[in-house]
Amino acid sequence: MSEKPLQVLLVEDNAGDARLLREMFSKEKAGSFELTHLLRMTDAVIHLARGGVDIALLDLGLPDAHGLDSMRRAQQVAPNVPVIVLTGLDDETLAAEAMKEGAQDYLIKGQIENRALPRALRHAVERHRMQTETELIRTNQMQFKDEFLSHVSHELRSPLTAIYGFVTILLDRLAGDLNVDQHEYLEIVLRNIKQLQSMINDLLEVTGMQTGKLQIELQRTSVSDAVEYTVGTLVATAAAKGVALSSDIEPALTSVCADPTRLRQILIILVDNAIKFTPANGVVKVQARKFEEDPNFLTLEVSDSGCGISPDMTERIFERLVQATDPALAGRRGLGLGLYICKELVTRLGGRIWAESVPGRGSVFFFTLPVFSLSNLLAPAFRREKPTASSLTLVVTEIGSQTGWLSNEVRAEQSRGVRDLLQQCLHSDLDVLLPKMSAAGAVELFFIVAMTDRIGGEAITKRIQEQFNDFEHVQRAGLTLLTSYRSLEAIKRNTNEPMKDFLEKAATQIQELMNEEMSLRMVTNG
Amino acid sequence: MGNKKILIVEDDGDVRRGYHVRLKANNYDTFFAVDAIGSLREARAHQPDLIILDLGLPGGDGFVVMERLKTNPQLAVIPIIVVTGRSGLANQTRAMEAGASAFLEKPVDNDDLLAAIRRILGGPVQLEKAEFLPGPKRRRVLL
Repeated sequence: MSEKPLQVLLVEDNAGDARLLREMFSKEKAGSFELTHLLRMTDAVIHLARGGVDIALLDLGLPDAHGLDSMRRAQQVAPNVPVIVLTGLDDETLAAEAMKEGAQDYLIKGQIENRALPRALRHAVERHRMQTETELIRTNQMQFKDEFLSHVSHELRSPLTAIYGFVTILLDRLAGDLNVDQHEYLEIVLRNIKQLQSMINDLLEVTGMQTGKLQIELQRTSVSDAVEYTVGTLVATAAAKGVALSSDIEPALTSVCADPTRLRQILIILVDNAIKFTPANGVVKVQARKFEEDPNFLTLEVSDSGCGISPDMTERIFERLVQATDPALAGRRGLGLGLYICKELVTRLGGRIWAESVPGRGSVFFFTLPVFSLSNLLAPAFRREKPTASSLTLVVTEIGSQTGWLSNEVRAEQSRGVRDLLQQCLHSDLDVLLPKMSAAGAVELFFIVAMTDRIGGEAITKRIQEQFNDFEHVQRAGLTLLTSYRSLEAIKRNTNEPMKDFLEKAATQIQELMNEEMSLRMVTNG
Repeated sequence: MGNKKILIVEDDGDVRRGYHVRLKANNYDTFFAVDAIGSLREARAHQPDLIILDLGLPGGDGFVVMERLKTNPQLAVIPIIVVTGRSGLANQTRAMEAGASAFLEKPVDNDDLLAAIRRILGGPVQLEKAEFLPGPKRRRVLL
């Protein structure tokens, strides 16, 4: 059986240890292993990035990497290369930690028996291959399931439309009179149609989340507007149940960085739930205030005087398909996706959600959202690893767009924030990055346009435009935009002609991307 | 003045008939098409005041229909309301860009549909009754 030799990377700075290991390899059949020995992690990272390594043997005491750091760096640059760590005699705790973080195995120096090394290597490679394969199968299955669910949910909508259509035709007496019983029974049908509709919407929402189709448009969002909308929408439902629904917003609360539609969606689910689990004469209250633990966040809370949640359930209720069970609330209550949707949305908006409850006395659901600031809006984009030749980021912000939606002081402050961010990041590197992208045939273009102020914004976009025009294939390449549509529209309306042309072109490309169902990638804090 | 004419493009027969009964009760005349080619033929034959268009159609989807309608100067002026089982901002944006006047998701609320029609064709806009829909309000765009 002739197999390709296993490419082994040994990273070990101790000459003695390295020699011992090399000797072990030399006893193996010629052509079964090919060993590359490096002394430092910095060199190892470069070597791993080039590819071709089948397995890495890493010493955990390298001069330029501390402990598990060497393993983490290896995994970061080559996540598909299995790692075996080499540790000293007294370091088994460290080795155990390494295993927890994904090392395939550990070997204790000085205790490696003859012939044990090649076996350990082969096992590690094989185990890693199987793990990867299992993971791939699982991912494929999950994806199939989500696509299937999404398809089914869409298909359910047509028959549901027909049922809804004719039930309401009967109810509205378009097909003749109804007696009292007939009317009542049709109302029951209608109520169930609406439940079904709401379940289908939840299913589509969740499958959309799983398949990365969840769209979030971050922008300056008023919390009090969202709370007011929610209370207005649900006040009649609460009243029908004899539940008092009220809100309390701290005065002069700053805006949050969120998607207003999503924020309303979260609040509606939480308040609707609260009403559902609160008996007559109960109270449901929505509150919003500064988050005491962190000034960069606001906290919103929905409290009720309902049946409460048992302590072991306060975390689990945010999982998919989990519902609090309460014999007092017999009957259907939906799919158990509402709180899961809330958690996904809050997380993707950069916040945190949790519940506290005293069984029998009620529950409080809390969630936090980041306070609006442009730096916060942009920061997630830069949280990605350093921009490379194939990934730039386009951020269009509304600063200086003259639409007047920011006060002068805020605008000046935000301008500074953005400028700082840009300086830290990449706008000065465009001259380098675009040619590099071109040379590399980059398929994806991320881009930055910051309208810091009229003049600054023009200068930046002029440079981008000049560069952009030089690279035809980059123009044809994908474009990822981080902004709300509204922002883009506002900028288009308020900028001079050449800039407008440029943005027009960018917008068309984005549209095309979207039409191909390639997601408009919103990088959120999730 | 005669009733306004609405062309219903929808491949599901029951859904089609449901729209017809509802619209007739509101004094609109209806015509039907069940696929892409039929919708263009009926649009030419009747020159409707409004088209209700499903996106998932046999023989070319609703986007294709809109594209064809927009290339014919006589048909390009007819306002279109897209009513579809396809959700998502991407579809909505694409429909609005293709020239739709409104985008509604199935099952569309009667009041929402009638309000959209009245906003486009004129007539009383107020809703007959306000209904509570459980779950988040659906995204709705009216120009």
